[in-house]
Amino acid sequence: MTDNNLHKEQQIVDHLIGTFQNLSGKVKREKRVEVSIEKKQISSVLNYVKDHLGFVHFSHMSCVDWIEDGYFELVYILWSPKQKVQLLVKALVDRENPSVENVDMIWRQVNTYQREIREMYGIDFSGMKGAQDFILEDWDEIPPMRRDFITDEYVKEVYFERPGREDAKDVRETLVKRSGEEIPDFAKKYSRD
Amino acid sequence: MDTSIWISILGFLATVVLAFTVGVFYGGIVRKITARVQNRVGPPFYQNFFDIFKLYSKETAVNHGWMQHLGPALAITASVTSLMFIPILNGQGWPWFENLNFKGDLIFLLYMMVFGSLGMALGAGQTGNPNSAIGVSRGLSQMVGYEIPWVLALVALMLQTHSTSITGIMEYQTTNNTWMMFESPLAFIAGLLAMLGMFHYAPFDVAFAPSELSSGPASEFGGKYLGLMMTSGSIFAFVKLTLFVDIFMGGASNLIMLVVKTFLLYMVPVLYGIVSPRYRTEQSIRYFWGWPTAIGVLGVLYVVFIR
Amino acid sequence: MPNDKNSQKIVDIIKNAARKHSLFVLAYGTGCGAIEIPPTMTSRYDAERFGISGMATPRQADVLLITGYLATKTLKRVIRAYEQMQDPKYVIGFGSCTINGGMYWDSYNTIKLLDKYIPVDVYINGCMPRPEAVIEGFIELQNLIGEGKAEGAKKYKDNLDWYRANQRKVIKNWNMPDYNW
Repeated sequence: MTDNNLHKEQQIVDHLIGTFQNLSGKVKREKRVEVSIEKKQISSVLNYVKDHLGFVHFSHMSCVDWIEDGYFELVYILWSPKQKVQLLVKALVDRENPSVENVDMIWRQVNTYQREIREMYGIDFSGMKGAQDFILEDWDEIPPMRRDFITDEYVKEVYFERPGREDAKDVRETLVKRSGEEIPDFAKKYSRD
Repeated sequence: MDTSIWISILGFLATVVLAFTVGVFYGGIVRKITARVQNRVGPPFYQNFFDIFKLYSKETAVNHGWMQHLGPALAITASVTSLMFIPILNGQGWPWFENLNFKGDLIFLLYMMVFGSLGMALGAGQTGNPNSAIGVSRGLSQMVGYEIPWVLALVALMLQTHSTSITGIMEYQTTNNTWMMFESPLAFIAGLLAMLGMFHYAPFDVAFAPSELSSGPASEFGGKYLGLMMTSGSIFAFVKLTLFVDIFMGGASNLIMLVVKTFLLYMVPVLYGIVSPRYRTEQSIRYFWGWPTAIGVLGVLYVVFIR
Repeated sequence: MPNDKNSQKIVDIIKNAARKHSLFVLAYGTGCGAIEIPPTMTSRYDAERFGISGMATPRQADVLLITGYLATKTLKRVIRAYEQMQDPKYVIGFGSCTINGGMYWDSYNTIKLLDKYIPVDVYINGCMPRPEAVIEGFIELQNLIGEGKAEGAKKYKDNLDWYRANQRKVIKNWNMPDYNW
């Protein structure tokens, strides 16, 4: 029963594994397929899935900061209206000198997402045209969405302290104290301390 | 000799006070009527007095040069001068309100009423704000539109009554015991449609509305200048209404009849304007050069050939 | 007329009555709270019966409504609009973002306390306040004007250096004209 339902998703994964080398993929669930590629294959894979596999609609592009392993991960989310399948294309970018090729000649709206990622993460998209200041004005610190930018210290230094809120900063500890329960294990893994 | 000069000056002051009070009250009453049409309680009917007094009590006056001082001063000069040439009341009972009338003053008034907009255009030009420049060009182009049916209506009247002074037209109406409204109806209709444009209400308010280029020519006038312009606007509204009542509706023999007649006449542009959207500039000029001009020309021909 | 220094003279009473019964609000929605302004001004919760009406330019307006959060980009433009208004002028802070930072209390791009950058006369709390609360805030402002206590503009002129120091700390590229009135 499950095999029958995921038939077309499995077909897509097998097709892509057969066409490109150094590509690994799997079916996450119904209507969602995930594929991991190398940085230099981005434009060829995107062109291929747009022309031949029917993924003509570009939904979103986002970026994940894996600071412990030392790379950024760019995720392109595409959608195929005919087969109703969503495809996630993931590529790893080195964190020291991040530089990726520009793909906004395939879909024009990629330009907006690339401008935001350039401003917030500092990834350089070679050959992209677009104004330098997008949302932030006159920002001269490191790009703010990187995980080594400590927001608390920056806010304390530049802006004024709100009166009466000095003791109410950590919500998690307050909830633990109030309910008397322990923090579960999966939440401890992502704790900041 | 001395007493007549003193009576004239007193009459002048009384006229200005009367025009200011009636004009400002009409402004407030119009806001109340607009609110009631829109199913809400509006401001009290003396609200415009509060607005004008508040504007006069602003402490700083930001200006960009001496020409900007001159703009509102020219506007209020034009309003008050136009006020001086209009007989407020018909008949000889009240010598105070005779003011300055002479033969041919209708043609003089045609020019004097344009002077106010010119003053505001000069003041707005000094500020260097691009919004003001565009608003001024729109306002002046609209004036080209509504002047034509207005002049045609006046020409038809002047041909019929063989006189060019307002008192002459009023005497014609009392001797023949009719109103010009019924004697030459085509001229009345053309004049009424032109008057819709003269008041700068919707649908012809593209030059002054707050959402059009941030109020057009008035965008750099604040505080005392805006107070002067609101005062001059109120006085000018009274001038136009009284002129219309004198020419077409037989004047008024006492103040109460004057107020009643001008109020009934004022309701025509106000009630039409509450429910109308706004025309663009070229649409309003095309409207004015269409039916109102045609009716005006027909009115002139009617007077020349039939009467 | 009473002669002691604490009571107001008759001229002041008339002036304050004229100022409080006709407030011109600048039609500028700075944040997400501006969505509560159109219901307040239109037919259901009519604000025009108190004399409040909207004006288009800062030269003609009295009251500046800061509706919601202010990013540093918006703060520069708001300061420029505030300095173009003519005395006497009032500022009303809407929503909890002007009081203590609100929902964006730990954001790197919004300011937390509005009172340190431009002087505020009346705060209205809520996220977003309902139109009844907005009208109550306006009535509070009218009462303050009637007593002669709404002196935000004078506070700005007297302590201009302190306000400028706070503003320059947050706005890095300062290319604005001087304030000379």
